[in-house]
Amino acid sequence: MPQELRETKSMTPVSPGGTPGVPASFEEAYLRFAPLLRKIAVRKYGIPLAEAETLVHDVFATYFTNAGEVNDVRPYLVGGICNAARHYLRRRDAREAIFCGEDPCAASPSESILQEVERKLLLRRLLARVGSRCRELLHRYYLAGESTQTIAGALHFKPMTVLICLAKCRKRARAAYEAMTETRP
Amino acid sequence: MSHIPEDELLLYAMQSGALSAGRRVEIESHLATCAECQERHDFLAIHDEGAVDEALMEEDTWEPVFGSPTYDALMEHGARVAEEDREAEELLRSYLEHPIRIAWDALTTKRRYRTGGVVRKLNAAAHANYKNKPRVALTFADAAISIAELLPDDMYPARAVYQLRGAAWKERANALMILGEFPQAHESLDRAQRAYAKTPHSGLGLSIVALVRAGVLYAQLRPDEALVMAERAERGFAHAGDEKRRMDAAFLRASILFEAGDPNRALPIFRGIIEHGENTQNEQWIALGSYAAANCEVDRGDMGEASILFHRALRTFRKQGPETERLLTEWGIARVIFHGGKLHEAINRMRAIAVELEKRGMATYAAYVGLDIVEGLLALNHPKEIVELAQRLFSAFTKAGMLTGALSALAYLKEAAATNRLTRQDVAAVRTFLQRVERQPSLQFVPPPRPPEDRI
Repeated sequence: MPQELRETKSMTPVSPGGTPGVPASFEEAYLRFAPLLRKIAVRKYGIPLAEAETLVHDVFATYFTNAGEVNDVRPYLVGGICNAARHYLRRRDAREAIFCGEDPCAASPSESILQEVERKLLLRRLLARVGSRCRELLHRYYLAGESTQTIAGALHFKPMTVLICLAKCRKRARAAYEAMTETRP
Repeated sequence: MSHIPEDELLLYAMQSGALSAGRRVEIESHLATCAECQERHDFLAIHDEGAVDEALMEEDTWEPVFGSPTYDALMEHGARVAEEDREAEELLRSYLEHPIRIAWDALTTKRRYRTGGVVRKLNAAAHANYKNKPRVALTFADAAISIAELLPDDMYPARAVYQLRGAAWKERANALMILGEFPQAHESLDRAQRAYAKTPHSGLGLSIVALVRAGVLYAQLRPDEALVMAERAERGFAHAGDEKRRMDAAFLRASILFEAGDPNRALPIFRGIIEHGENTQNEQWIALGSYAAANCEVDRGDMGEASILFHRALRTFRKQGPETERLLTEWGIARVIFHGGKLHEAINRMRAIAVELEKRGMATYAAYVGLDIVEGLLALNHPKEIVELAQRLFSAFTKAGMLTGALSALAYLKEAAATNRLTRQDVAAVRTFLQRVERQPSLQFVPPPRPPEDRI
């Protein structure tokens, strides 16, 4: 998925107090469950990430449109992505695709997927706390794949400074991550 | 021993080419003998392994920071839905308070009413009313349908407008089922099904359709088809992770089996519902499951188990209600006492229960209890009391404006008692008829055939 830097200057999270006009429950559901839905589509059904993104979008769009009918959001969304993925793969009659013939239901994500998603959510919380400079460095280095020289040039640092900062950020991130993981029951 | 400075160690770990060849050799030799520097080096060198690094390289880890096209699109959609709902709240306020106005005003002619928010609001109003005010619910559902069908197919992303159409047709079916208009209910369910099928990633709507259809088929006394549908709904809800609705479907499936005279197959399902209640600490499910399982045990002849289950249900219903279920459970206990041979005690209890049911306007249930009393009085050979009771039931039914067929059945009971020809088979026939006419209001009562010696 191509990604645009939204706030390269401040690196503040997109919705510290919620997006104006959007019910908090919608945004919360999306940020909390979208990673799980992507993982299920990609890992369980082998759907390419770009296609999986469309499916995730459709599942959430449908949920937002008729949220009043849904009693339990997480399994609804998980069931939704499972149906969407199967429909995408098989392109068969919609009515047949609704009911999963497997027991246990294939919509149940595996333990390893759940663990990965849990890790990701922890990391997201952590990234919200590490400070904007750290976030920017980590983002440029890990996600954008920029070299330390490029980062140094963009930020007017010496390459060595970037490396040291990066190492410290990683150290802080790892330490905070381990602390968060250990404190979980 | 002096250690390698961290800055240099970092450079060696991540970009060793930036160091001179001589310095690289020196560091390499040092690391071979210094465990402390080796450990620091290892930490710095591992930058593309491990869960944290891996997750940091995934785009959606960064989504809360940077957003994404999907995030942007969905938040825009969510904001639009919320705004439509706010507007609909205002637009529909007077209509929801005075539903008859919807019938007078053609909402579809007013452009500002043609929104998804108005359909959602009308659907919700229909759902809230269908059990107790089905005519009102039908008015809301019809208005919702007429607007939903006018909305452009691409008004929402992912063809989600079809969810609103499906829900509107489904609410119409709910209301029609309660009103006993079964063929129309099936037609509405067909429409709902077609609409829901347009969004194949959401199975919930189709599962709800299956559940409502099971209810309609059950009401039409088509138990085999109803069972298939209930099972289909149950699996669909399991798939969508909707435990509440799954239990509703399971309860319906077991109820169908029970009414079809198969308590042995119904019982494990009701037991499963009790277990679900225990696992989720939901006392209502435990109580409802216990009550229904107790009825199965009565039919199976295990009065001891039935008594335990009824009393378990009663504890919750006494504490939390609903009152109707409390009374029905008390009636169940009276039936256990009846089967235990304590007819006088059972009849006394049943009389008190019937009075309470009547007070609450539950004439049909009062009649069922009355029929049990009649059976007891028959066994005790108290024909005069049967006539009095039958007369009272007839009056209560007339006062409650009950259906003609039900009145005919009670008139038959009264007459048979007065002429001292009432049998247990007659009582059973009236009971079965009352159960059926509740769901098929147009049924006419046909008296059971008499043995040859009774015929004139």
